[in-house]
Amino acid sequence: MNLIKSTFGALAGVSLFCVTAEAEIVAKAVRGDVSKPQPAAAYWANAPVEKVSLIAQPMAIPRPAVALTPELRVQAVHDAKWLAVRLTWKDPEYSEAGHLGEFSDAVAMQFPVKSNESPPPIFMGAKDNPVHIFHWRAQYQRDQEKGKPEMTDLYPNLSVDMYPMEFKDPGTLGTSANSGREQFSPGRAEGNPQSYQKNGVDEIVAEGFSTSSVQEGHGSAASGTWAAGEWSVVIVRELNREGGSVLTVGGKTFMGFAVWQGGASEVGSRKCVTMAWTPVTLEGAQAAAR
Amino acid sequence: MSKVKNWHLGREMEYPYEESRPKKQWAIVFDLNKCIACQTCSLACKTTWTSGKGQEYMFWNNVETKPYGAYPLAWDVRVLEKLGQQSWAGGKYAGKTIFEAAEPSERAVHFAPTDQDWMYPNLGEDDCAGTVTNAGDHIGELPHDRWFFYLPRTCAHCTYPACLAACPRKAIYKREEDGIVLIDQSRCKGYGECVRACPYKKSMYNPYTRTSEKCVGCYPAVEQGLQPQCVVNCIGKIRVMGFINPPWNARADNPIDYLVHKKQIALPYYPQLGLEPNIYYIPPIHADRQYLHQMFGPQVDGAIERYRALSKDPVAAGLLTLIGSSERILHSFKVEKGVARGFAEDGSPIVDVPVTEPVIVRDAFDEKLGTARYNTP
Ligand code: SF4
Ligand code: SF4
Ligand code: SF4
Repeated sequence: MNLIKSTFGALAGVSLFCVTAEAEIVAKAVRGDVSKPQPAAAYWANAPVEKVSLIAQPMAIPRPAVALTPELRVQAVHDAKWLAVRLTWKDPEYSEAGHLGEFSDAVAMQFPVKSNESPPPIFMGAKDNPVHIFHWRAQYQRDQEKGKPEMTDLYPNLSVDMYPMEFKDPGTLGTSANSGREQFSPGRAEGNPQSYQKNGVDEIVAEGFSTSSVQEGHGSAASGTWAAGEWSVVIVRELNREGGSVLTVGGKTFMGFAVWQGGASEVGSRKCVTMAWTPVTLEGAQAAAR
Repeated sequence: MSKVKNWHLGREMEYPYEESRPKKQWAIVFDLNKCIACQTCSLACKTTWTSGKGQEYMFWNNVETKPYGAYPLAWDVRVLEKLGQQSWAGGKYAGKTIFEAAEPSERAVHFAPTDQDWMYPNLGEDDCAGTVTNAGDHIGELPHDRWFFYLPRTCAHCTYPACLAACPRKAIYKREEDGIVLIDQSRCKGYGECVRACPYKKSMYNPYTRTSEKCVGCYPAVEQGLQPQCVVNCIGKIRVMGFINPPWNARADNPIDYLVHKKQIALPYYPQLGLEPNIYYIPPIHADRQYLHQMFGPQVDGAIERYRALSKDPVAAGLLTLIGSSERILHSFKVEKGVARGFAEDGSPIVDVPVTEPVIVRDAFDEKLGTARYNTP
């Protein structure tokens, strides 16, 4: 308890209870289609770059000892249907996890769900006041590009006699062999989304720490590139996401961010986060026509 | 942090959650003087639980040769090194537990194993401590100056699990009905915090399902009144599973309570880490005492002494014959008229075993069958 109190105390001076940060993101209205994630598209050249400050996640234990990613650069554009956000940060090594004890580079952005004027607590929302999170991982992107890795993709020299219910010819068992096989992969048998093929980005709704649940069948997409010690990741989402956050052209909302450096074993609550919501304005439609 | 009672330490300690003891607590007692490292237990668990993808390297039950064997590599040395030198004072633990010694940003003092650390589950097998200098060297004194022993290990379904404490998603829970600690496979996100935090390294990451997995205490068997696979398949009959009470509720007719509390011959391993682990060991009487002190704490001398005197105690001798005599969980036992009797939870009898097997003398040649008899035990 003392620990939590002192954490609060230390943070009170930093902006824990502020709603907004200094930066302000303006999502440029662009003509054409931004629904495909394109880190190198021409429209990024005209989108203003906002620098957002992050600190080592301070609330939930375990937390990182140092802020590995103190700064995230954010750009946004929209085409009146889709919002595209380009996130850029420094990370000295590319990490996509896979082996035991390895973790993936990742980034997340979140939006308020209930109100675009007064957002919930920035730490992943609160009960009955959820946040809508878009979580990209290099690992999820690898899934999308090359398929979910088999054990022999991760460990090419692995040798196994046979796995249960895995037959070259299932014979009379037919497709029932498939469901039988799942029983030997507990995460899959329980329908855990973590255990299935990912498509670059997860959409998540959370009502506070340790409450997040992955949403099925979403329309968002993401694509990232890592070069010379820097990640550049584009996440695209529909403005109007039923059951999630709803953005309007010409309107305002807020965004929060988190970054994980997998190479430094950052995962879960070991992450850098924004401590305040960053205001976002979606430029009016007439601007695109100018 | 809450103050909780840890009777292994003889004191209260700090833990992130309140003390909440289950109605019953799953426990195994192992007699390390008898284990032969046949690994039947490891394979019984493996074939039952971990034959799927991503589980190739997993041994929820493993048997390692002490002092050099360890799965994962050097887990014990690395945890103890991280914790630093600590001490006992008069039966009470005067040092810090892994929870108490943790940085404010962490739940527990820990190290994170890499894949290489898991890949040699039986490295160090039969390597003995001390050097054999001459060919044909024999062991001349007690305790032996050259020694090793086998240490079979499962998850300890700790009273204060570090795996549970470290999970930021609260995907790990301890069952109220039997104290078994489980990872919810539908909620786990594979952060691996449990893998880092468990000092015994009994939580393992499955890279195929991307969730962490661990020994499930064979809960489906336990729910039916049966002992776990690794216990009932033990060739050496060195282990028994049952339910342990804390010392203030101990019952002398409960097999586990009898061995741990009444006779005080079975001890928790590395109790100083602070988890109140629920696997208990009868220490190997011929191994190095200093090493045993480090592993089992200051009670080890008394435990060995009492174990040596056991053969003179008909009740204890009776209980030892019951171990491995039934696959059902013995909730209570009784030794009367040279017979050891085990009972189920409702008091109904499960098994009767003669404490001393009767000696039967038969002729070397069987007249009726017209054949010679061989001794095939
Ligand atoms: S089956 Fe029993 S004797 Fe064999 S290694 Fe396991 S615990 Fe030891
Ligand atoms: S031994 Fe490890 S995995 Fe098992 S309950 Fe204790 S802390 Fe958790
Ligand atoms: S109790 Fe069951 S799951 Fe745990 S190690 Fe033994 S056989 Fe494996």
